Amino acid sequence: MEFFRKTLDPTVALVAIAVLEIFLFLLIGAWTVGGGETMMTGLMAKAILGDELERLPFWTLVFPVQVDYWKIYVSLGMLFGAIVGAVASKEFYLRIPRRLSEWVLITLGGLLMGIGIRIAFVCNVSTFFGLTPEMNLGGYLAISGIVAGAWVGSLIYKRILEG
Amino acid sequence: MSTVAECVVAFIFGSVVGLLVQRSRFCNTAALRDAIMFKSYRNTKALLVAMMILTMAFTTFMTLGAGHPLEFDVGFNQFIGLFLFGIGMVLAGACTVSTWVKTGEGNLGALWALIFTFIGMFLFSVLWSWNYWPPAPASMTGDPNLAALQLGFANARTLQDKLGIPALAFGLVQTAVLYSIYRAIRRRELAQQARHERTAAEHRSDNARDTATIAARKAA
Repeated sequence: MEFFRKTLDPTVALVAIAVLEIFLFLLIGAWTVGGGETMMTGLMAKAILGDELERLPFWTLVFPVQVDYWKIYVSLGMLFGAIVGAVASKEFYLRIPRRLSEWVLITLGGLLMGIGIRIAFVCNVSTFFGLTPEMNLGGYLAISGIVAGAWVGSLIYKRILEG
Repeated sequence: MSTVAECVVAFIFGSVVGLLVQRSRFCNTAALRDAIMFKSYRNTKALLVAMMILTMAFTTFMTLGAGHPLEFDVGFNQFIGLFLFGIGMVLAGACTVSTWVKTGEGNLGALWALIFTFIGMFLFSVLWSWNYWPPAPASMTGDPNLAALQLGFANARTLQDKLGIPALAFGLVQTAVLYSIYRAIRRRELAQQARHERTAAEHRSDNARDTATIAARKAA
């Protein structure tokens, strides 16, 4: 099938995603990823810590742990869709970062993303595909933050690349 | 809509998104990082087009009182949080979407980034439970609260309610701004392309001159 042989133009892909997201917005809400990831964190923490987790008010006041939170299934769907796409196009194979510095950067990057999402209460997806199209003032603050952060991150990355 | 139906709709939406992102290699990190580092705008243009479509659609439905806009207060925590996120996504080489998609392609680095995103979120939950900042959506009042660095709630719908101007009018202004950014990027790309073509033509004429000189020497 042609779809799985050639790389799709990202503009075409994003137009299709935007049209689908309009239906999602009308039915349940704009596309977001950070909320679902937070709930997954809560579910995993609950599985490890049990009722001890309730000693942290965050998990009772902000994100009471529940498995039927729709945002979780957006992320699981993305994982499923990506596996289908990768397998069907024969692009699924194990890719392992080779250098220790890559692992360190990824670890730091992951931690900063997790902490950043929770400080902001939004992620990059809800910034670009939710808050800003809704013209929420928070979207403009979040975009300013992510652009400034990406610029600082690029400077750090460049310096590391240049050794 | 029932909770189960919401989860099913979300899973179907996510699956299509995952498939399209995997096939197109779209990445939000690349949309910002490549524009900053490499002056390459393939993903940036796609992001802008999607934002234009969504702005028009969301503000149209918000004018009519339809849809489910995000409802929580605006605060400086959004700048601080996304600033940290922006650094993190460049260092990790993936954003929230591409960590899932690349994991689905068998990328263990992306899975590692995802695991540490979860760990970062858990660490933040410990910190929040100690100082209760920033305010949780449940305790947001919609009004400015400068002590907590909160500015209240404002979107196209609240502008419509306060000013009596349809939300769509504000959406049109935002779409025009996004389009002007898109146009500026296209102009820059065309200028880059013209520069490359000029350089290539100069190289070609230099090569032709060298070949002719060598041929002339041989003939002599």
